[in-house]
Amino acid sequence: MPREAEISVNERAFIQEALQEKIRLDGRAFDAFRPLTLTFGDEYGVADVQLGKTRVIARISVEVTAPLPERKFDGIFQIVTEFSPMASPAFEVGRPTDAEVILSRILEKAIRRSNALDTESLCIIAGLKCFALRADVHIIDHDGGLIDASCIAVMAALQHFRRPDVVVEGEKATILSAREREPIPLSILHQPLCVTFSYFEEGEIFLVDADLAEEQVRQAELIITMNQHGELCQIAKYGGATVDPLAIVSCTTVALQKVKELTKFIQSRLEEDAKRRNVGGFMAELSAENAR
Amino acid sequence: MASTTQVLLPGDTIPTSALPTPNNPKKPLTLGPGLRHIPPSTIVASIAGSLSTDNKKNAAWVEYNSGRYTPSANDLVIATILTSTADTFNCTLTPHTPTTSLPHLSFENATRKTRPQLPPHSLVYARIVSAPRDSPVELTCVDPSTGKSEGLGPLKGGMLFPVSLGMARRLLAGKKGGVMVLEGLAEKMGFEVAVGRNGVVWVDGGSVKNTLGIGRALQEVDREGLGERGQRKVVERVLRGL
Amino acid sequence: MAPEVLLSPLHRADGSATYTQNGYSIIGAVNGPIEVLRKDELPSEATLEVHVRPAVGVGSPKERHLETLLTSTLRSIILTHHLPRTLIQLTLQVRSIPAEDAICGVSAYLTLLPHLINTSLLSLLSSSIPLRTTVTAALVVSPTSSPTMPLVMPTAQEILRAGRIKHAHVFAFDGERKMVVCESEGSFTFEEWEEAWEVAEDVCCRDGGVGLGEAMQVDGQSENLEGWLREVVRRKVEGEQRWKSGT
Repeated sequence: MPREAEISVNERAFIQEALQEKIRLDGRAFDAFRPLTLTFGDEYGVADVQLGKTRVIARISVEVTAPLPERKFDGIFQIVTEFSPMASPAFEVGRPTDAEVILSRILEKAIRRSNALDTESLCIIAGLKCFALRADVHIIDHDGGLIDASCIAVMAALQHFRRPDVVVEGEKATILSAREREPIPLSILHQPLCVTFSYFEEGEIFLVDADLAEEQVRQAELIITMNQHGELCQIAKYGGATVDPLAIVSCTTVALQKVKELTKFIQSRLEEDAKRRNVGGFMAELSAENAR
Repeated sequence: MASTTQVLLPGDTIPTSALPTPNNPKKPLTLGPGLRHIPPSTIVASIAGSLSTDNKKNAAWVEYNSGRYTPSANDLVIATILTSTADTFNCTLTPHTPTTSLPHLSFENATRKTRPQLPPHSLVYARIVSAPRDSPVELTCVDPSTGKSEGLGPLKGGMLFPVSLGMARRLLAGKKGGVMVLEGLAEKMGFEVAVGRNGVVWVDGGSVKNTLGIGRALQEVDREGLGERGQRKVVERVLRGL
Repeated sequence: MAPEVLLSPLHRADGSATYTQNGYSIIGAVNGPIEVLRKDELPSEATLEVHVRPAVGVGSPKERHLETLLTSTLRSIILTHHLPRTLIQLTLQVRSIPAEDAICGVSAYLTLLPHLINTSLLSLLSSSIPLRTTVTAALVVSPTSSPTMPLVMPTAQEILRAGRIKHAHVFAFDGERKMVVCESEGSFTFEEWEEAWEVAEDVCCRDGGVGLGEAMQVDGQSENLEGWLREVVRRKVEGEQRWKSGT
């Protein structure tokens, strides 16, 4: 399996020297994210995120199934991330790399275990029928920042998605199609977002949203997940160089500011998309003529 | 030079009218990248691009600027050392491709007793000796006729800037390549540059700011397809910023 | 509508393309020629690996079947002998499929196949891997209600509206008008199959290409897939050479 090509000593030394002079290769501030674009598909629940050169697409899909016996009152929600050679030749289908395992674990903790999605609202008939929600994360282009971009994509897709409405009469449940009744949004309790911090110079310098070159030079990585209310969902540091605990506290302050900005950004994109759809729907209703 | 570019798809036959009219009719036709010969006398394109011809050299090829670099004899490249065996360095020209070999003795002043000490992931500026289809590519850091490095050898410090393959070719083509941003910057700055046909440029401007300014200027000219005026603006902007 | 194409949108891949037509949207990426694992190495040719990733989920026997089909089709157009002991990886990610696809009456793998073939070719062109020729594909559907008027490259809605489907075919042709792929389903006579073949051939290849009326209008001119492909490459060349006439 071809491993990720390692960076040359010249590039490594240059990046480190530049950081000491407070310079990042693309001229960004140390706490700045790369340019971020978020677009939605025509169907509900598909979010396409471009973070610098990194591109991630998340797609939400739903089906009806029986709930888990030990969680009769909950629906099912799973997040699947499988890397493919599209993102980088170092990725092999079916053979998870460390990066893939970490991404999977972080998204699991950040979104599923923090109850961002109210799984009780997915229950149709306790113990018999529930909605099973699935988030597929596709890495399209890899230039670092996969965790941050994937989290944005999944949260945006969840908020964009509309599930079919249900009518329950006693023991009978009828799933209404989109024609019969407008599909309804998911019950999202809070919006966790991840901010990855990369450490250099024995923990003296940290950067937000490292690109691939910076990732290869960094000495440690800290992933903080929180929502816009300042509630911390998870902090992860998998080995690497030691970092002063007080530095971590200051990172959470930076993370909160970033999360607030990102949350506002996602919200504005969702509103724009809603307007775009409404315009079409509204005008179609007004017009008496059918499209020829 | 043809006024309308002939756009080629793989499988297109090149009509004889489009082939170069050689200044010296005895010179055989040389086919460059993207064209192949199907005996007895058919020439077919294998890569999408535009047809280019040179009457002086009686050569024809397809011009394109996409895809991965493929090694070709005599190319100047920037190689990254991976490992060392008893008598060669294993180097890579692009990520995830089979390694190329650079003999320890293919350096200026190298003898069996004094071999160059190059740790893994160091960079060298080298020339491709041979790139046969069925064996590993071989590199050298000396000019075989003089034994001198002629600018080849280890690259210390500086920084690498990826550029498109077309840009690398233009930089190595001198005036014909239409890149004057380096000359413009050289009027006010001192720096060293090594251009690898494998789509990488090494720059050492003496300081982080200078090196970054030069490298990013090259990448901007490449990315935006800037002509002379645009390049001049870039030069002015870079010099002002330093 | 002629397919919408963006060539080389990705940064890491050696070649890539996004392709959208009739509600089917696919991203293709090519890596190669790169190093091949010893066990997959072929002594005198390049090894080709194709991955088809569905929009939802991680893949089932249907995707494996498409991968096998695509691998053998593309092997016949890639000049694999020019790149011995290397690997060419092609990944096709389905981004979206129209909602009617599942219920239109034609197998899902058949409706997706021509788009996968076209996206594969575009991705290969973007990667500049040497090819013997090009390949384009089209779907031809014959409804029971009008068996002599087959639908060529219909949308999923059009197939649904046509009612019961008698037979459907996917044909792919190379640049020399030779048939490279033929997959069929349903019940049909040899004459009906031949007719579907001719109709598909006209859509895919140049010279006597039958216009498809509104279906393939490009700038007011009827075009077939070959013409469309040439236009895509012309735009690529213009973009790459804009420095020659740039300011």
